[in-house]
Amino acid sequence: MPELDRLVHEPGRLAILTVLSSVQDADFLFIQRATGLTKGNLSSHLAKLEDAGLVEIEKRFVRKKPNTSVSITALGRERTARHWEQLEALKHTAQSVSRSQASQSALRSAAASRVRPA
Amino acid sequence: MNRRRLESRAAAYAQLRGVLGIPAGLLFILAALGNWQVGPFRHDWVFVACLLAIGAAHLLVVRGYRRHYGRIRPSAEQQWRAAAALALGVAVVLGGSLLLRSRAGFSLDLPVNAIAVTFAVVMLAAYAIGGALRPHHGAVYGALLLAGALPVWGGEDPSNVGLVLCGAAVIACGALDHLAFTRTFGPRALDA
Repeated sequence: MPELDRLVHEPGRLAILTVLSSVQDADFLFIQRATGLTKGNLSSHLAKLEDAGLVEIEKRFVRKKPNTSVSITALGRERTARHWEQLEALKHTAQSVSRSQASQSALRSAAASRVRPA
Repeated sequence: MNRRRLESRAAAYAQLRGVLGIPAGLLFILAALGNWQVGPFRHDWVFVACLLAIGAAHLLVVRGYRRHYGRIRPSAEQQWRAAAALALGVAVVLGGSLLLRSRAGFSLDLPVNAIAVTFAVVMLAAYAIGGALRPHHGAVYGALLLAGALPVWGGEDPSNVGLVLCGAAVIACGALDHLAFTRTFGPRALDA
């Protein structure tokens, strides 16, 4: 099984990338609202994602107020999609393992009841 | 963590900014009052002044949402969906109104409120296409659809009453949309 992308796997960063993958760009406040992260956490995650080339950050002024606009890069989009696919695959594997374990334990208990002395 | 829920945040932002429904609903009611020419609406300047006030209110609400909840630029897919919903809306309202009740030769001339019926269908389709359809949309616009489809609209042209009903539905739905919006994004930012 391929190894999970550690940078993307962190829940805060995965939430940011997932939200950004559904828009062209969003500002800092929207991402904060949509993910529920604190300002400090969001800033730190965005810096790591920008360093890795997964997001692009543009600082500008809107009505004389500073505004930080963030967009996901093609690499970020691809890595986020791949990561979700891996998580889905893991989930399916875990479900099939738990189903087979449940059927095995049912078989074992049925066999045990058959050999039990009357 | 739920992927679909996170991905639907942008659609929720685009479609559930319910306070925008208040000026939009008032616009419908204003159109009906203008058509009826009741009271001060006999004067054209009153209509224009109300129109400007509604436009200003719309801009203020947009600014308020941006200030407290941030801003996004929708994806190309969302923009395409919005354009498709608009085109479908215009086609359904015009075509449906002509078909259900009009002077056109092919009209079924049914005793229904064509504006209320077609507008309810369009709004339900628009929310569904935009990916933000919620149970309260079904309740409010379903009620509007039922009211418009009741065969009690014979006699005089009921278009203006239909406009008032549409306006009331837009305002009611807007209030419920805003509740859904604040459940999704939290209450207004205190420090914004």
